[in-house]
Amino acid sequence: MNKPVVGLIAGAVLGLIDGATAWFTPAVRSEMEGILMGSSVKGMVVGIICGLIARKVHSTAVGLAAGAAFGLLFAYLVAMMPEPDGTHYYVQIMVPGFVLGALTGFLTQRLGTAPASVRESKA
Amino acid sequence: MAYESDTAIGGAHRPFPTTRHSLIQSAAGTGTLAREALDSILAVYWKPAYKHVRIQWRRSNEEAKDLVQGFFAALIEQQILAGFDPSKARFRTYLKGCLDQFVMKQDEHANRLKRGGGASMVCDFEAAEREIAGTPSVEDVFLREWQRQMFALGLEDLRAFCEAGGKTVQHAIFAQYDLADGDRPSYAELSALHGVPVTSVTNYLAWARRELRRLVLLRLSSVTSGDPECQAELRVLFGK
Amino acid sequence: MSFLPDRALDHLRDVTEVPDFSDTRYQLEEEIGRGGMGVVYGAWDTQLERRVALKVMDAGYVINQEAKLLAQLEHPGIAPVYDAGTLPDGRVYYAMRLIQGRRLDEFLRHEPALPARLRLFEKICEAVAFAHNRGVIHCDLKPQNIMVGEFGEVFVVDWGVARAVDAAPLPTAGTPQYMAPEQSSPGRPLDARADIFALGRILRDLMTNPIPRPLAAIARKASAEDPADRFADVQQLAADVGRFLDGLAVMAYRDTVPERLARFWRQNQVLLLLLGTYLAVKLLLYFLAPALK
Repeated sequence: MNKPVVGLIAGAVLGLIDGATAWFTPAVRSEMEGILMGSSVKGMVVGIICGLIARKVHSTAVGLAAGAAFGLLFAYLVAMMPEPDGTHYYVQIMVPGFVLGALTGFLTQRLGTAPASVRESKA
Repeated sequence: MAYESDTAIGGAHRPFPTTRHSLIQSAAGTGTLAREALDSILAVYWKPAYKHVRIQWRRSNEEAKDLVQGFFAALIEQQILAGFDPSKARFRTYLKGCLDQFVMKQDEHANRLKRGGGASMVCDFEAAEREIAGTPSVEDVFLREWQRQMFALGLEDLRAFCEAGGKTVQHAIFAQYDLADGDRPSYAELSALHGVPVTSVTNYLAWARRELRRLVLLRLSSVTSGDPECQAELRVLFGK
Repeated sequence: MSFLPDRALDHLRDVTEVPDFSDTRYQLEEEIGRGGMGVVYGAWDTQLERRVALKVMDAGYVINQEAKLLAQLEHPGIAPVYDAGTLPDGRVYYAMRLIQGRRLDEFLRHEPALPARLRLFEKICEAVAFAHNRGVIHCDLKPQNIMVGEFGEVFVVDWGVARAVDAAPLPTAGTPQYMAPEQSSPGRPLDARADIFALGRILRDLMTNPIPRPLAAIARKASAEDPADRFADVQQLAADVGRFLDGLAVMAYRDTVPERLARFWRQNQVLLLLLGTYLAVKLLLYFLAPALK
């Protein structure tokens, strides 16, 4: 399994889990479907980007940093969209998004197979 | 990868001196072979035994003489040699152990008379006594004297071999160089003395040393039980 | 028979022992060491203009045995044989690569780190495993018979008592401390596990305090009294040492639950920290939710 695919799957799963935790915020329970969808898509996008980076750069630190940065960015883009009542949940979305982005970046570095040229250069 | 025996990598070689595996066992018997075997053993071991008793056991020269003669007599009469098991110890070690036991039991043995048994024992105890005077005490006298006696016998054999083969010049050069007491003469001096080229001096010395080694090995093979013991004793005899 | 003084005796012992290479292409230099069955000298090969090691055998019928065995073992960890021959006095010699380095027991006095020692041990196992693969067992493995080159290369030397698998051992072969029990049983055929026993003892020598329990267990298994209880082959022993170096569970030792948890933590620290951070963040946000409104 190549790294972008690993990123896609890991991002989707982690995004789904993160989205599901929104259930503990009663105010947004009615929006669960949308939250789950959006969180998963956000996770997949971050995962693919991290996977593409991992194909080129084999470094756990870079994976963590890139994942955290893109996780934060896309979480911000999601948090920018207000709830129907006009509330923004910047902290509640961006902080976990930052951590999960780092986790996704870490997983793409550790799992999946790099392309042959990267493997040869590593050898 | 298969190798032919005795071809390129090894070549033809002079075999290791044939060991008389049963010689020590035959010394326990009777007849010509037994006499020959006993003579070999006595020739090598009488002096180390005497010096061992004198220095390690601190016995007087008369006591030591009696003990050594009594020991070798007992060796024959009490079939001590028949008890030797090569898988348990080297012959030299076995003999020394028997000698020590014999000395320890000396008070229990009333009879120390020299008795026959077929082996001749011509031992110059007085000469051995004189040698002790100049010998510093060593931790293992028996071992050291055994080494000395092996080479002394080897030198005798070499002298006889050279005389018989008309190699007196070779022997003379060897004796003057390798047996020199003080400073050794130079090769040039030996060359001038004997009227031979310097290269011949080098070659003669190499030859004589090879022959001495061969003759010492032959002696060694006559007092060891087989090749493994002989090889082990070789290392002790020549090694550091 | 005149008395032979000590000085003359020692001189004769020296000159009759030193081998005569004057008719060969080698110029003898210094004595390097003494091993099973012979003496090793440093020498100069006048034809190829390089230094070599010459092993001069004591004597005997199996004179070509060591050279023949070594010539079949072409491995970076085994000194190659260049040449063999016979001296005028009947002694046989063979020329081999001169190894510049230190004996393992000397090397260990200056190399304190356990991982480096264990990596060295893996290289020793590679060379021995190669020999076993060719049907040859060393029979005298010990730190004194392992050389470490200046760049960390490892050489297993002194194959003087090496045997083919299933052959009976030589009666005087081996060094007691490293000798498998079956080596001193007359007539009992040997297999590669005799060398594994010795390797277990060597591994024990390599260990530094505090001795990790898994490593001690590996050494114990390797040098079990009963060959059936040892590793089946050297590769298994080396693999277990490799697993230990990688922080993984080893075959020879059953971790306790705390040890398993500790290993899991060591192997997954970043992952566990990230998950822990995520959970902590989520919990914090949950409890701070009213304040954040």
